[in-house]
Parts: sequence; C-alpha cells; structure tokens
Amino acid sequence: MLTVAPPDAVELRANATFEALMWALSRPGDIRDMPEAGFSAVVETLVDLECTVFSDDPDLRAQIAATGALQAEDVSQADHVFLSSLEGAEARLVALRCGSALYPDDGATLVAAVRHGVGQRVRLSGPGVDGTIEVTLGIASGFWAMRAMLCAYPEGFDMLLVDGRSVIGIPRSTKVEVL
Amino acid sequence: MSLSSLTRPWAATSYGFLDASAKRELRRKMLKAIAVPGCQMPYASREVPMARGWGTGGLQVTLTLVNPTSTVKVIDQGADDGVNAASIRRFISRVSGASETWDTLAASIVQSRHRVPEEVMREDQILVLQVPNPEPLRGVEPNISIARQMHADADYGKLWLTLYEQIVRKGRIMQGAAYPSMVNGRHVMTPSPIPRWDVPKLNMAKHLTFLSAGREKRLFAVPPFTRVEPLVFSDRPYRVEDHADLTCRRSGVSGYFMNELPIDGGGSAFEVSDSNLGIKAIQQAEGTPVEIGKTWYRNGEFSA
Repeated sequence: MLTVAPPDAVELRANATFEALMWALSRPGDIRDMPEAGFSAVVETLVDLECTVFSDDPDLRAQIAATGALQAEDVSQADHVFLSSLEGAEARLVALRCGSALYPDDGATLVAAVRHGVGQRVRLSGPGVDGTIEVTLGIASGFWAMRAMLCAYPEGFDMLLVDGRSVIGIPRSTKVEVL
Repeated sequence: MSLSSLTRPWAATSYGFLDASAKRELRRKMLKAIAVPGCQMPYASREVPMARGWGTGGLQVTLTLVNPTSTVKVIDQGADDGVNAASIRRFISRVSGASETWDTLAASIVQSRHRVPEEVMREDQILVLQVPNPEPLRGVEPNISIARQMHADADYGKLWLTLYEQIVRKGRIMQGAAYPSMVNGRHVMTPSPIPRWDVPKLNMAKHLTFLSAGREKRLFAVPPFTRVEPLVFSDRPYRVEDHADLTCRRSGVSGYFMNELPIDGGGSAFEVSDSNLGIKAIQQAEGTPVEIGKTWYRNGEFSA
C-alpha cells in the first residue's frame, strides 16, 4: 500500500509561491500573498538547471548558482531576470528577450522589486481583468513606454512585481495605460 | 561545498508523485501559458503510472497544483464514477493527501475529460481539461512545423474553409466536439473535445482553465475573463446542441446536456451528462438538503 509522503517545507513553500504567482498572472493588478518575502522563494519555485538567469543582487546570484542555473552576463541571454530595482533600468531592459511569434514562450520572465501603492497610477485591461483595473506602482512612465514598444503580442515579457510578500503580475497580454 | 549540501535527504517518493524538477518545468510553462492565452506551450511530459492518452497531461498539471488542502473532482464525460475518473481521483488523493469530491461546488481543482460542469465555476477554482489533440490545425495541416508558422502568422484561413465546406456539403456546421475557438482575438485553440454546449462556458469565465495534452506534450491556458469565441460566420450563428427540451429519465431535470441511450424497440432515452448534478437533483427531490449551484444554462438557454 502506497503511503503518502507528506510534503516537505520546500515543496509546501514552492506550491504556495506558485499558486500566488499563477493567480497574480491570471488576474493582472490583483495583489497575491506569497508565503515568504523576497525573491528567494520565487527562485526556488521556478529556477533550475534548465534556466539562464540574470540577477543584479550578489546574494541572489549565490542562490541561483546553487540551483545549477546558468548565470547570464546581461539580460539579453536570460529567460528569468531578477532586478532589485527598476529605476533607470530601461537602458538595460531594452535587450530583454521577448520570444518570437513562432515561440512566444521564449519571452523572459521579469521579477522585480517594485513598491505597490505608491508612484505612478496605471490602468490595466486585457485577459484576466474584468473590464479595467487601476493600480499604483513604483514604476516610472518611461518604463511602460519601453514595455509597449517591446511587447508586440504574442511577443513580449511577463512581469512579477514583488513588494515584500505581495506580488502583482502583469503578463504581456495586459494593456497598460499610464494615467 | 560538500556532497550532502548538494543533495536532499532521501525519501521513498516525491510528494505528489512528480519530482521537483518536473514540477518546476510545468510551473514555468503554466505561467507562460497564462501569459499567452490559447497558445500551445511545449513541455517535457514526464512518465506517470498511466498510459499516454488517458489523461496524463491533465494529471501532471493537477499533480503540480495539488496540496494537502486541495479538494479534487475528476470527471470523465460528465461522470464522476467512470473507471478512468475514479482511478485518477484516487491516485491524486493517494499521492498528495488531497480530499476527493464529486461536488463541483466543493472542489478546488476540477480535472475533466470531455465536459465542463453545468454549475458555474467560481473565481478560486481551476479547471484542468485533458486534451487528446491540442493542435486545431492538425486536420488541415499535418506538418506541425508549418502549423506552428500558421499560428505565428494567425493564418487560420484553412480552418474557416473546412467550416465553410461543411455548410456547403451538409447545410450546417458538422463539427460536434473540439470546436475551434479564437482566444483573446489572437490564437485559435481546440477547447479539448468538449461539446459545442460547453464552449461558451469558457468565454469570460471567472475560473482559470488549463488544457494539457500529455501525449502531444503541449499545454495551454484560458485565464479568467478572457474572450473565447468559436469560429463562426457572421450570417451563421453559433449553435449548441438541441438539448434544451430533453428531460433526464432518472432525475427529471431538463435543459442540460444529455447522454442519449438507445432503448429496446428503437427510440432513445436521455440522462443528464453531468452525473453529479443529476444525483443532487434526485437527492433534492427526496428531501435531502443539498445545494445546487447556479448553472450556466437555465431552461436550456445560456445565461452567464
């Protein structure tokens, strides 16, 4: 008789983190709670030796190295990009991988620390949003202009904006209007 | 760095059957599938103790999502007690410790083959559809590389042509199940072999839908509040099956999708396809307090 192996702490954390990320991307603009603050649980949930990862945080780079993932020297090679700040990151992010119409899944996942509830107000619409929703995010309007230029649907990159334990997802399918 | 710091403590089985790297790969692909609704994302499709083509794709998605607090419902052609459905449900609960249910309202994950439940699914529920053939273009373009290029170009002319030919030859669209549907105005997907009756339930739904084909190694998703429009000509409206006037011979409910059962001496009897809806209707008629949720179809009319 098969006995159920109880989930270990890592599995429980990864499961709960993924659930937060999944619902965050499914409902852009909604705030979801992850079990742990910061990027480390996100790395644990998504990254392994099949990934190429860029990170600007030395501590996180050590954790990513332990997963066996390849460390990218710049964002153009990475399928997962972790940034501790989006301020002035436009020049760097313009090289972000956006996939192709043939392979939209090659578009990068951008995980960034962004304050929720302060800064620029934006209006989101598209799949996952019933009509429109307005959120306030610590992202300058220049970034959204760059995103609109890069995300020619179905090409584009998907964003997970982390503030402590909270996460907001903005997939490439979302239309962002700067208010 | 030592060897023990690189490995994990020994365990007889992984939680939820799939190992951690399989789950991480599925998680990455599921996020991409949500980001590009209706677009088929390739994935590795690991071995599960079940033959490919019997719901391994749906099973892998469910095993990735499941945790000990989940409640799982599995249906096969609307029924909870089919061998395939019962075996999958028991397997999931055995390897994950999740609860089992037959009730759509009680489930957090509904894995399904060929039907969407009749009761409206809530915003916290996930529908996992098993898909035998994820490629809507397979019938018109057997070469999958060319089919991929056609998806990239949004070149769906050949699909429109097959629908047109059906109208010319038979007078109506003959496509019964897996009706090709445009998702978010960009990618045409097959909604898995659900009847035409069920396709409107995916349009601007509150729940999240994953569609996963284990044998073909592709998965795609329909996030909540996403447009799913069956391909139709503007002068030929989309028609669901004429089941509005049929009555279930066991539960007496009418206005839902029915199974047709041939009877001796010709003719046919009908039973409601969503078996647990029928069971609840019988229980209610017998005076047992049971909650029947709001249904997508009311009096045979779609009204969500």
